[in-house]
Amino acid sequence: MNTTPQTCPDVGTWRAWLDHEIDLPDEAQHLDACPGCQRLVDELRSDATFARAGLASLSPLEVPSAAEISVARERVHWRHAATRKRSATEPLGRPRLEPTPMFFTRFSTPWRVAAGGIAAALALALVVAFTPEGSAAAAGFLAQFRSQQVQAIEVTPQSQADIARVLKSLGNLGTIQEPSIAQSTNPAVVARSEAAQSKTVTAAEATQTVGFTLLTPDPSSLPAGVAKEPSVRVSPASQLKFTFDKKKAQAYYQSTGHPEVSLPDKFDGASLTVSIPSAALLTYGGGQGSRTELVVAEANELVVDTQGNVSLPEMRDFLLTLPGLPPAIVSQLKQIQNWNDTLPIPVPVDQVNWQQVPINGSQGLLLNDNSGVGSAAVWHANGHLFGVAGTLKASDLQKVANTLAVR
Amino acid sequence: MATMTMASDAAEPVTRFDALFAQFYPELFGLVYRILGDRMETEDTLQEAFLKLADEPDLQARPDTEVAAWLRRVGMNLAFNRIRSARRARARLERVGRLERTDNEAAERDLSGPSDVVVRSEERAAVRRALAEVPERQRECLLLRHSGYSYVEIAATLGIAIGSVGVLLARAEHAFRAHYGRLEEER
Repeated sequence: MNTTPQTCPDVGTWRAWLDHEIDLPDEAQHLDACPGCQRLVDELRSDATFARAGLASLSPLEVPSAAEISVARERVHWRHAATRKRSATEPLGRPRLEPTPMFFTRFSTPWRVAAGGIAAALALALVVAFTPEGSAAAAGFLAQFRSQQVQAIEVTPQSQADIARVLKSLGNLGTIQEPSIAQSTNPAVVARSEAAQSKTVTAAEATQTVGFTLLTPDPSSLPAGVAKEPSVRVSPASQLKFTFDKKKAQAYYQSTGHPEVSLPDKFDGASLTVSIPSAALLTYGGGQGSRTELVVAEANELVVDTQGNVSLPEMRDFLLTLPGLPPAIVSQLKQIQNWNDTLPIPVPVDQVNWQQVPINGSQGLLLNDNSGVGSAAVWHANGHLFGVAGTLKASDLQKVANTLAVR
Repeated sequence: MATMTMASDAAEPVTRFDALFAQFYPELFGLVYRILGDRMETEDTLQEAFLKLADEPDLQARPDTEVAAWLRRVGMNLAFNRIRSARRARARLERVGRLERTDNEAAERDLSGPSDVVVRSEERAAVRRALAEVPERQRECLLLRHSGYSYVEIAATLGIAIGSVGVLLARAEHAFRAHYGRLEEER
């Protein structure tokens, strides 16, 4: 029943009125007298409230900080200048600001996680470290991964996303047990939490925690503007255990419309243990107004082992057949000769150039952020994993890395 | 003329671009993140959007409101394009026998355990599924409004009359609710 005259405002008008986008003094009176419009407005209000609540869940948990915005702006300047250089000869008229620590912002999660226990390797170890090279070599003592060297694996944003998805789906095939986060089945969540456990300590305490005397760079090699003494943080060693669960896997496959797929019987109850080493992070911060920063990370080796009826090579083979793992990644992993002691380091090739170079007496990786605002080096030596990153040219950073020694 | 890379007259143009960047990056981040749900993807998308702006010296010289509307439009287009390419890639994978769900959040949805992270992730995934069903124009209006933009800003972004925003939004909210309810029932 519609008892109102033909002057009822339309839907759009009432919606705008609800948002206080328009003033409708007459219509407010109209609303009091018009049951039809009252119903309409109630519906509009209800829909709006529902949508507001739903879309609120999509908002970012954190807005970018001023530093992050600054870095983002620098990246645009750099890329724009690079594009212009390629397409013309017009010089970059604007002097670039001092470089910012890209490896701590752009690649914040991997690097921070790495710094907090070289646990970036965790994600890798679960999928990447078990390349099927030499799966016949299943001798008992070889059924263990112990990182002794590093090798670059080129990844793209798409392959990174694919790997993350595969890791997440892995959680559907079993359970992850980790002391501080019992219940979680998401490897990424576990890894992030690991990083969050790091704390600030003295150098002596750090040495005690990581179990070896920390190496430090020659102070004279440090870039101008950074502190000569580092602030030190450590993250404790921890262990993550993933146990396959046939029933859970079956339920997952069924729920995803693939009841014909099942986990091999021998995997039921078999587990994979990743021992994440304790790590120390030495930060040589810039003074006030300086954006130069240098970070040195040191950790013990990362160890992976299996328990149950499945050998590490078998586990590796299985993991590499997980659906969704990018073929290009699998192919690179297969080419790793000494898979059981080589820690693959993912290098986002859209952002980073890399080269294999000698660093401080060992073979390592020198990474150079394409935007020219940061570089990093990663290498393994004497059973320890080292990383140096900073707002330096790669060649300068390599010089600093080469001076690392017990002092 | 506003541009970010001029050899002779650098100070003013740089200031203009940097001011635009500082002013609009944070709010665009919120808008694009709502579409993509991933911080790194959002950063990459905004980088592309601002690179386009860097190539548009005339546009930079326009009033802030016009530049902002342009940035929102470009940011949303780039974000939806990213989603579309991701879907195409997923479709290819599924054709060759991929088993798991199709995006990060959908994958998270499958994780068991009482964690709040998982619960929030499920909510987000449900909202995204419903949003995907809403017609594109309405969806953009919905995202803009619930990212805090006024009707004037929405109209400028979508290139429609301000008087059309209300009805577009009303339809969008109704469609969103209906799809959300239907999809939840089907689960």
